[in-house]
Amino acid sequence: MSGERGLCAYAITRGTRWDLVGLPELRAAGPPELIRHDGLALVVTEVDTALFGGLDAEEPAEDGLLAKLVRDHDAIVRAVFEHEPVLPLRFGTVVADEPAARRLLSSSCDEVTRWLDRVAGHREWGVRVDHGAQPVEETPLTGLSGADYLRRRRQSRLDGRQLKDHQAEAAQALHSALAGLATDAVHRTQRPQTLLDAAYLVQEANEDAFRRAAAELGEEARGRGATVHATGPWPPYSFTRLELGVAG
Amino acid sequence: MESTSSSLADVLERVLDKGVVIVGDIAVNVVDIELLTLRVRLFIASAQTAREMGMDWWTGDPFFAPHSARAELDRRTTGLEAAAKAPEAVHER
Repeated sequence: MSGERGLCAYAITRGTRWDLVGLPELRAAGPPELIRHDGLALVVTEVDTALFGGLDAEEPAEDGLLAKLVRDHDAIVRAVFEHEPVLPLRFGTVVADEPAARRLLSSSCDEVTRWLDRVAGHREWGVRVDHGAQPVEETPLTGLSGADYLRRRRQSRLDGRQLKDHQAEAAQALHSALAGLATDAVHRTQRPQTLLDAAYLVQEANEDAFRRAAAELGEEARGRGATVHATGPWPPYSFTRLELGVAG
Repeated sequence: MESTSSSLADVLERVLDKGVVIVGDIAVNVVDIELLTLRVRLFIASAQTAREMGMDWWTGDPFFAPHSARAELDRRTTGLEAAAKAPEAVHER
């Protein structure tokens, strides 16, 4: 069951510190290599394209092939990111061969250089705030008249709505403070009950202030019953939304 | 803000639908990324993963979790039965 050989690509970088990059132990991919051209470099591993076949028909699982490949992808991007600026590529990017990789680098050189400069010295942080569970009414209902029951129920709904408003305010305050300390911020896909799901591109010099604000205002939102989930540091995954192709 | 090891859901969300996209002839199409992303979204939204992520709001909601409504009904029935067996407790009011 072998398909064609291809080069799975993970990131674009300048490749100036490649000798320092500690290459991660990979779960499914072979050892990463660098294809250099015009002062830029594409980080790749050689793959059998059949490896990806049927991946989109498989149920995602913690120990499945998708999880392994995705964790490898992240590990390779991170290993390079620790030493120099990177533009992470979307998962599942495969180019035919070395000449194709060089064509890509040469035709997108200016754009890539601009983006590398833009994310240099920055790391990405993620913050999500969700509505917390409503406190459950514990008082026994027996012995209550119908009118009392309705009154209490109305009060608890009002309290719940007020609590949700307070949580939304706290999430908004958190976002304003963090966006103010970040170079760029993007909102991610909203889910029901999510008050805030954002990624922030933060300059290293601002990281301490950013993390302090996240901790303090996150605590404030938690105090109002919301759940706060912070992740990071990440390579700038959410801030490299560009399409590259070979011109002509 | 701790930098703990990221959950699979966190990694999937970033690696799958973010990052540089290569278009045109030089990219080899090995996987239907839209379909994969859709699958993964469903996976992330699945009850078990969501609970790990602290999003268990629906477990107490009768619409999404009929069992919780059942528990509430049972509780009320028991309460009513107790009241019926001791009518004086109700008449005292």
